[in-house]
Amino acid sequence: MDLIYSVIAVIGTLVVAFIVSLFLPGIERKFIHARIQQRVGPPITSPGVMAPLKFFFKQTITPESSMPRLYNALPIISLIVVVILLLFLIPEMYFLGALASVIALIGFLKVEEVMYMFMGSLSRSVMSVRMPFPDKAKGAAHPETPQSFFEDLSSLRAFRLIAFGSFPLYIALFVAVARTGSIYLQDIINYQQVHGPILFSVAGVLGAIVFFIGYMILLNEYPFSILKGKPDVIEGPYMEYAARYRAYVYITRGFLMFTLATLFSTLFLGIAPNILNPSFIITLIVALLFPMFMAVLSAFSPIFTYKQFYPTVAGVSIIGVLAIVAALL
Amino acid sequence: MDDKKENRMVIEAEVPMGTVHPAALEPYRLRLFVEDEIVRDAEMTVGVNHRGVERIMEGLPVEKANSLTEKICGICSNIHIWNSCRVAETALEIDVPERAIYIRVIMGELERLHSHLLYLAHGSEVLGHETFSMRIFYIRETIMDLLEMIGGNRVQYGSAVLGGVRPRCELDEMRIKKLTAGMDLVEEKLTAFADRFVSDPMVMSRITGVGVTSQKDALRLACSGPTLRATGVKSDLRTEMFEYYPFDFEVITQDDGDVKSQLLMRVFENFEAIKIIRQAIRDLPDGPITNRSWEMQDTPITKSYIEAPRGTLYHSYALEDGRVRNCVIRTPSMANIGAMQYSAIGHHITDAQLCVVQCDPCFTCTDRAIEIIKL
Repeated sequence: MDLIYSVIAVIGTLVVAFIVSLFLPGIERKFIHARIQQRVGPPITSPGVMAPLKFFFKQTITPESSMPRLYNALPIISLIVVVILLLFLIPEMYFLGALASVIALIGFLKVEEVMYMFMGSLSRSVMSVRMPFPDKAKGAAHPETPQSFFEDLSSLRAFRLIAFGSFPLYIALFVAVARTGSIYLQDIINYQQVHGPILFSVAGVLGAIVFFIGYMILLNEYPFSILKGKPDVIEGPYMEYAARYRAYVYITRGFLMFTLATLFSTLFLGIAPNILNPSFIITLIVALLFPMFMAVLSAFSPIFTYKQFYPTVAGVSIIGVLAIVAALL
Repeated sequence: MDDKKENRMVIEAEVPMGTVHPAALEPYRLRLFVEDEIVRDAEMTVGVNHRGVERIMEGLPVEKANSLTEKICGICSNIHIWNSCRVAETALEIDVPERAIYIRVIMGELERLHSHLLYLAHGSEVLGHETFSMRIFYIRETIMDLLEMIGGNRVQYGSAVLGGVRPRCELDEMRIKKLTAGMDLVEEKLTAFADRFVSDPMVMSRITGVGVTSQKDALRLACSGPTLRATGVKSDLRTEMFEYYPFDFEVITQDDGDVKSQLLMRVFENFEAIKIIRQAIRDLPDGPITNRSWEMQDTPITKSYIEAPRGTLYHSYALEDGRVRNCVIRTPSMANIGAMQYSAIGHHITDAQLCVVQCDPCFTCTDRAIEIIKL
């Protein structure tokens, strides 16, 4: 009976997460971005449901990549990583021990980040070097200089984000660890069931702010979208994804939005995602609120360059360290 | 001018942008030579959109040629036909009625308003601030409605014909009321926007000290219009144009020559344009709007300079049997290309398109100019 209950909880949670995640991009764009910008906006199903559906039935192209199959496989791998991430957040999977710990989650998030680097380094779109144009005509400046694709820039930026951009998110995760004294999700939840949610403490509030900034950075949302900024690298690592592979990119993004919100509710509210538990409604509310807050901030921000990015990350990281210190105290 | 280019310049790679790029409204190639994402040198190439308007104008009756100049630019179409008419009017010594001159000035300033607002919206978009961009477009809609009301179209609304303005551009009482109300609305909304814009620390951080062109360099690069005035040079051809003699307005300048100065420059110029339009409405003289009593004759090449929204616009042609000969047109963006390339040097690659956009490029106009290089 327990086994059936567990299987239903796991599969049900994943299915509901998948359905909700399809609507998150639409909610973000229709109800926040469009309202702030005083326009009608797209139908709520358009960005998350109809667009991937449409792309699944489009004819695909072979990207101009040195390894096109690997390049096309990366969004699928990325989606699998995010699904695994959510899987280990579900209480029925906590028997796996170390895999259901903060350290393991950080590992999976790192894999997700590395994907952007691979995507960037493997893409060779027509938007820059391959654009047919007589660059090396007589009189051209610096004709011997090697040319670089936009995606190379994106790849370089992804590497830098791995190095420093994800600091806030990981520091925020350790607020819960510092408070509870354990890296295991089971212990973190048990602690909060006894002592109340970490969010309702000074450390929790600071940690939540830091987590939110980290959430935006990981999702490459404005103003932190240096990986795929329209002013220079356009779509960046995603540039050459077409048809069903682009659909996977959209689905992964929605799923990652949901998973990160779930991670927050687990670590800061002590509510693990389980469809058979009535408190799952709070997880859903958090999953809806995060994209909304993110959309408000992104609608009122220009895209950052390193000049703004470094101080922001440094400042938020310091707040994160203060949160850890407060949690330890 | 080479102080931005270091003596021992390290160029790691070239990042080519365009001719198709979402941050660029028009086709051009921008080659950025970078060292760790910092632009060390830049090269811009236009010419993809060449249409040969001057060649098409060759031999056309002057009235037809004038209306063709309106097609040169989708943003400042009115100023082209106005300047083209000025060439023929100067050559043929046609007296333009005073009322027609006032209507031309009103249309010219409305066009300046919509061009500058488009610039602000595009600049905000390249900054990545879509909300500001959308809000500016909403303000611009009022101007577009007024242009459509007077000229009949949102894009090709040119009012000038030889000897005056088109009959449908006559300003009756209803139109004057709408113009007055429109100016009040735009002024109110633009003031609110400007306050919000300059008080946004994130936006200010992105545009302050970025894309600097010093006054000395702007003069050496032969920049014109607002691009030059944003470096502190008080140069505005409207102060020398007889059409603007009756109007009282300030020539706006900014000191820093960076993106912030360029953007604020256009905002303040918009308020001056509103001031001119209000004066023109208030003092609009009675009388005819067209002078038909003139005779065609052969004339030598005649030149006309006018202050377009982007800078100095030049038209010249000769008349032979009522047809246009040896037409040359030079648009302001041609003069500002040097500043576009130069201002990007030393800045992050994300700011490069912003540095180009800050000079308000219009390559659709520029691409029909021909540069002959002596080898």
